Amino acid sequence: MRQSDRWPVRVAVGFARACAVAAVGMLTPAVWAAAVAWGVWWGPGNPWSWVGPVLLVGAGTLALSRPVCRIVRRLVARWTGTVVPAGYRRAGPVTQMSTGYWWNGSGYARTRRDALLDQKWRVRWADPAVRRDLRFTLILPFTAGPVAALPPAGVAAAVVGLGGPGPASRLAGALGLVAAVAVAPYAWRPLAPVARRFLRPSAAMALADRVDELTAQRADTTVAQAAEIRRIERDLHDGAQARLVSLGLSLATAEKLMETDPGRARALLRDARAGAAGSLAELRELVRGISPPVLNERGLVDAVRALGLDVPLAVTVDADTSPRLEAPIESALYFGVAELLTNTVKHARATRAHVTLARDAAGVVIEVEDDGRGGADDRPGGGLDGLRRRLAVFDGVLTITSPPGGPTRVRMAVPCESS
Amino acid sequence: MRIVVAEDLYLLRDGMVRLIEAYGHQVVATASTGPETLEALRTWRPDVSVIDVRMPPDQSDEGLRAALAARAEMPGTPVLILSQHVEQLYARELLADGSGGVGYLLKESVFDAEQFLAALERVAEGGTAMDPAVIAKLLAGSAPNRGLERLTDREHSVLALMAEGLSNQAISRRLFLSESAVSKYTTSLFGKLGITDDEDTNRRVRAVLAYFNRT
Repeated sequence: MRQSDRWPVRVAVGFARACAVAAVGMLTPAVWAAAVAWGVWWGPGNPWSWVGPVLLVGAGTLALSRPVCRIVRRLVARWTGTVVPAGYRRAGPVTQMSTGYWWNGSGYARTRRDALLDQKWRVRWADPAVRRDLRFTLILPFTAGPVAALPPAGVAAAVVGLGGPGPASRLAGALGLVAAVAVAPYAWRPLAPVARRFLRPSAAMALADRVDELTAQRADTTVAQAAEIRRIERDLHDGAQARLVSLGLSLATAEKLMETDPGRARALLRDARAGAAGSLAELRELVRGISPPVLNERGLVDAVRALGLDVPLAVTVDADTSPRLEAPIESALYFGVAELLTNTVKHARATRAHVTLARDAAGVVIEVEDDGRGGADDRPGGGLDGLRRRLAVFDGVLTITSPPGGPTRVRMAVPCESS
Repeated sequence: MRIVVAEDLYLLRDGMVRLIEAYGHQVVATASTGPETLEALRTWRPDVSVIDVRMPPDQSDEGLRAALAARAEMPGTPVLILSQHVEQLYARELLADGSGGVGYLLKESVFDAEQFLAALERVAEGGTAMDPAVIAKLLAGSAPNRGLERLTDREHSVLALMAEGLSNQAISRRLFLSESAVSKYTTSLFGKLGITDDEDTNRRVRAVLAYFNRT
């Protein structure tokens, strides 16, 4: 959003915005006014004449609440950069049961369409966000709406007054124009605080969202952990354990052959030594995959440096501090950088990469940038998506910018208390 | 040789001492923590020391730091670092002062006692002993590199073995070449890397450094 300091521009922009806010804010009152006019037109004498207008007010307000709120959210986000989350409840999946009926989480229906429709209305009925929208639709015409209507009203007064007869009417018209120009840059502004105050999801709704998010993350973590433990078990079982068994066998045979065939015994001992070296190498790789030694010994910055030395790229590492973080976060970030560098080597056709580690008040930020061909995507189920989910466990955020043609820049930000 | 052994695990320390003494050398002191190691190096000024990277009190890189501190205080103090894993990062730190007398090997290199003792002697004489695993990682990293890309394949393999710390004689045996051929290769690669030192040990250490400092 670009702000100009020249006042004609400010007035023009403000006027346009005020008109937009007034139009949105006065939409529901317009429906109410129509209903009242209807009631008056049917007039007295008909004892049931109020029924239609009352129904119109109710239905109109209900139907308008969601679009009005959506527009307000969009306007506030565009003009002030403040994102007011909608926080609507999400519908669960609709599945077909073995009986052929469709289950939508609360009831069965014969067709998928019916199940979805039923679910939609159930969710809306129970959703506190819908009641909040309704409340906001009632509040708007009495707060930001009339304030924003001032500039258009002033202009209207000017048009009517200046064209009218008599000095009094002309004076009123001129005053209206002056007032419209004076308040135009400010009249739309009350929308943002009102929206923030009344349109934000309540604490309970935010909490419910958070619980959903955490439940999903916990399930993710548990699955990942179990898979990791299975991998370690399998590696040990097929690798080091098997090698040690064969080592024992070689030694036993060599002991037996020592007297009868020293030559073969010596060969077996040599094999045994090679086997021991091999199992050590395997264990070393396994340990590196679980908990990289340099990370334990030196912390994140040096571990990333060591990583940079080991990939076939010219990697420069920039670190303003040497943050010692909690071990799980450190480990997640380390493996994150490792994965990003591996991606760079495999896909980016890059010759160099640059890693920046920085720490600010909010947390730690790591950026990995290469000079490759770009086009990295984080489609669901891919490596970057997995990384995003692993960081999400620590409330971390992954941001990827990778236009076709490059370069690729990936940013990992994890909040943590400053120590 | 008078040797200091620093290793926190009793079994390994004991085994190492026995191995070294079996080859007729003298273990003058043992240490099991970082500070003890530094103290032992100061007190005994051994001909060479064998130091584990990870030791108490923090179980991080105490041994390495003690070795670096000792070499900062007493330049050229010969140290042979043993570890369960080898890292280019640590290798660079050890070689950074350019004074030689440095070894960095995986612990399983003691399986071949002859070679291990040979490495120990080389370090004591001011040479280097780098684990083939570090060298292999260097070779895998093919980043553009001043001077190095101008080496021929043969010169590359000679440099790799030199980086491990082998003498020309040992290299000639490993590559099935005559010793004079090897010395021809070394002279030409010193030239390509712009190394003009007179003393052979120094030149070799600097060639290895050039190898590591590719950026």
